[in-house]
Amino acid sequence: MRNPVLIIAAKDFTESRRDHFVTILSGFLAIAALTALIAGAIALSTDVATYDAAKASLLALGKPADSIRPPEFYPLRLLRGTIEQIEIVGSAIAILIGFRAAASERGRQTLALILTRPLHRWQFAAGKALAGLGVLAGGLAAIFSVSALCLHLMSGVGLGGNDLLRLAIVWAAAVAYAACFLLVSFTLTLRLRQTSTALLVSFALWLLLVLIAPQIGDTMDPDNQVAGGVFQALHISRPDQLQIMQAYAGFETLRGGIEQASLTKHFERFSFAVLGIKATYAGLPLAPILTEKVLDLLWIILAAFGLGGLALFLPLNPKTLTQE
Amino acid sequence: MTGALLIARQSVRLALRENTVLLMVALFAVLVLLSAWLGWQATATVDRIYTDAAAFLAAAGQPVPTNPVLDTSPLILLRNMAVYVTLLGALSAIVIGNHLVAADRGAGVLPLIGSRSLPRRSYALGKLAALSGLVLALMLAAAVIGTVTLLALPAVQLHPGQWGRLAGFFGLSALYMGIFGFLSLAAAAATSSRSVGLLIPVALWLAVTFILPALTLNLTPTAVLNPISALVTPPDAGFFQWAGWLLGPLSISQAYGTTAAGLLEFRPMDWLDRSAIGAGPTLGLWCAASLTLAFRALLSLPFSTGDYDA
Repeated sequence: MRNPVLIIAAKDFTESRRDHFVTILSGFLAIAALTALIAGAIALSTDVATYDAAKASLLALGKPADSIRPPEFYPLRLLRGTIEQIEIVGSAIAILIGFRAAASERGRQTLALILTRPLHRWQFAAGKALAGLGVLAGGLAAIFSVSALCLHLMSGVGLGGNDLLRLAIVWAAAVAYAACFLLVSFTLTLRLRQTSTALLVSFALWLLLVLIAPQIGDTMDPDNQVAGGVFQALHISRPDQLQIMQAYAGFETLRGGIEQASLTKHFERFSFAVLGIKATYAGLPLAPILTEKVLDLLWIILAAFGLGGLALFLPLNPKTLTQE
Repeated sequence: MTGALLIARQSVRLALRENTVLLMVALFAVLVLLSAWLGWQATATVDRIYTDAAAFLAAAGQPVPTNPVLDTSPLILLRNMAVYVTLLGALSAIVIGNHLVAADRGAGVLPLIGSRSLPRRSYALGKLAALSGLVLALMLAAAVIGTVTLLALPAVQLHPGQWGRLAGFFGLSALYMGIFGFLSLAAAAATSSRSVGLLIPVALWLAVTFILPALTLNLTPTAVLNPISALVTPPDAGFFQWAGWLLGPLSISQAYGTTAAGLLEFRPMDWLDRSAIGAGPTLGLWCAASLTLAFRALLSLPFSTGDYDA
C-alpha cells in the first residue's frame, strides 16, 4: 500500500489543480510580480535614456562625458519590486492556499470517511500540508521562471548561470518564507471552530508581521522622515552621517529589533543581498554573501520547521473538522 | 421604529458581539495609538539629529541649514495614521461588512426575515446604515486618540484651520474605509460562500494598495507603506504619464494617500496629480459605485431560501 501521506497529498494536489483556485491566485501574484518588474525596467530605461541624452549634450559641447555618473545596471536588481510583491502578496496568497487545504474537507462530511481508514491524524495533516506546499512551490517556481525570462528578454544583456543559481536560491528561500504563512493559516483553519475566523486571525497576523512591523522599523528610520532624506536636507556627507548616528546606537538597535521581529525583513535582507538589489552586495560573489546572510536564512527555515511541527502535532478535534 | 433602523440596530449589536470584529477593531485602535507615538518619536529624533548635526557643521565651519522639523506642520505627527487606515482600517471595514451579511446568512435567518412584512429595501438600508455607523464609530475613536495626542504634546499648537484639516482627514478616512466596507457587503451578499465573500474584497484591496501604485508611480510595495516615500514623483517616462492618467481613477489608495497628505500638510508643494479625474472625484465615484453595488446586492439576497450551503 502506498504511503497514506502521499495518497492524501496527491488527492489534494489534483483537487487544487481542478478547481482553478490556485491558478487564479498564482496568476494574481504573477501579475503583481511582473507589473513590478516591468515598471522597474521602464524606470531604468528612462534613466538610461536621460543619461544618453545628457552624455550626447556634453560631447556636443566638447566637454568630457565622465562628469556625469552612468546609471548602474545589474539585471537582477530589477527584481526588487517582484521580491517585495512576493513578500506581501505572496505571503497573503500562501495564507489562502493553507486555508483552502485545511477547509476543503470541512463541512463536506468527507473527513469522517477519511478518518475511518487506518490513518493517523498527523498523516492526514501532513498530506494536506504537503500538497499545499507543493502547490505553493510550483506557483512560485512558475513566477520566478517567467520573471527570469522577462528579465532575460528585457535587460538586453541576458542572464548567466550564476544569475540563475541566485534566482534558484531566492526561490527556495521564498518557498520557505511563504510556507510559514501557509502553515499558520493551515494550522488555525484545522483547529478553530469557524474557518472564516481562522482566515481573519491569519490575516491579522500577516498584517502585523508583514506590513506593520517592517513599517514601524522603516518609519523610525530618521532618514525617512524628510523627503529625500534628513541628511541630504542638511547637506551632510555619508562619513559624517555615520559619525552623527553613533550617538543613536541604542535607538538604531531598537529599530533593528522591531524589524527583525518580522520574518519578512529576514527574507528581504537575504534575497536583496543574494540578488544584489542592495547596492553594497551588487557584483559580489555568492559565497561571501551566503556566509554573511546565513542567519537570515536560518531564521526563515527554523520558523518554517517550527510551524510545520505545530501543524502536524497539535491535537486535532474531529468534531471541529466536521463543521464548515 | 422603522424597519431599516431596527435592522441596523440589531446588526450593530451582533457585530459588536463577534470576536473577529472586535479583534480587528482593537488592532486598529492600537495602531492608531502607535501611529501617534511613532509620529512624535520620529519627529523628535530628527529634531535631535538636527541639533547634533548643526553643532557638527558649525564646528567644521560649514553653513547650518534650517531645521527641517520647523518647516513642517504639527499635523505631520499623525502621518502614519493615513498608512494604517489604508492597511488595517480598510481591512477592518471589510471584516465588518462581511460579518453584517454573513452572520444573517450563516444563521439561516434570511427566510425568517423574508417572511415578515419588511421590505427588502429596508433590510438593505439597515445594513448600509449599520456599516456606516460602525465605521464612523471606529473613526470617531481614532479621532479622539489623535486629538488627545496632539493636545497632550506641549510643543504642538494647532490653529483653527489645522483643526479643520484634522477633522477633514478623519472624515476622508471614514469615507475610504466605508468604500471597502460597502464592497465587502456587496461581495458577502453576492457570493455563495462566506470565505469567497471575504476573499474578493481582500484581493481588490491588495490590488489597489500594492499593485496599482507600481504602475502609476513606480512605487514598490515597501514604499507604499511609508507615508513620505509614497509621495514620490514618478519617472519621467511616457508609460508612467499614461498609466497615471488612465489608472489614476482606479488607484483609490493613491487618491486617499495624496488627499490625506494634503490635509495633514505633508504633501510636497510640487506634487502633481496625474490622474484623469483627480483624487477627489476618484474617491467620490468609488464611494457612489460601492454604495450602489452594495445596495443592489443586498436587494438580491435570497430571502426565500436557506443560506450558503445550508
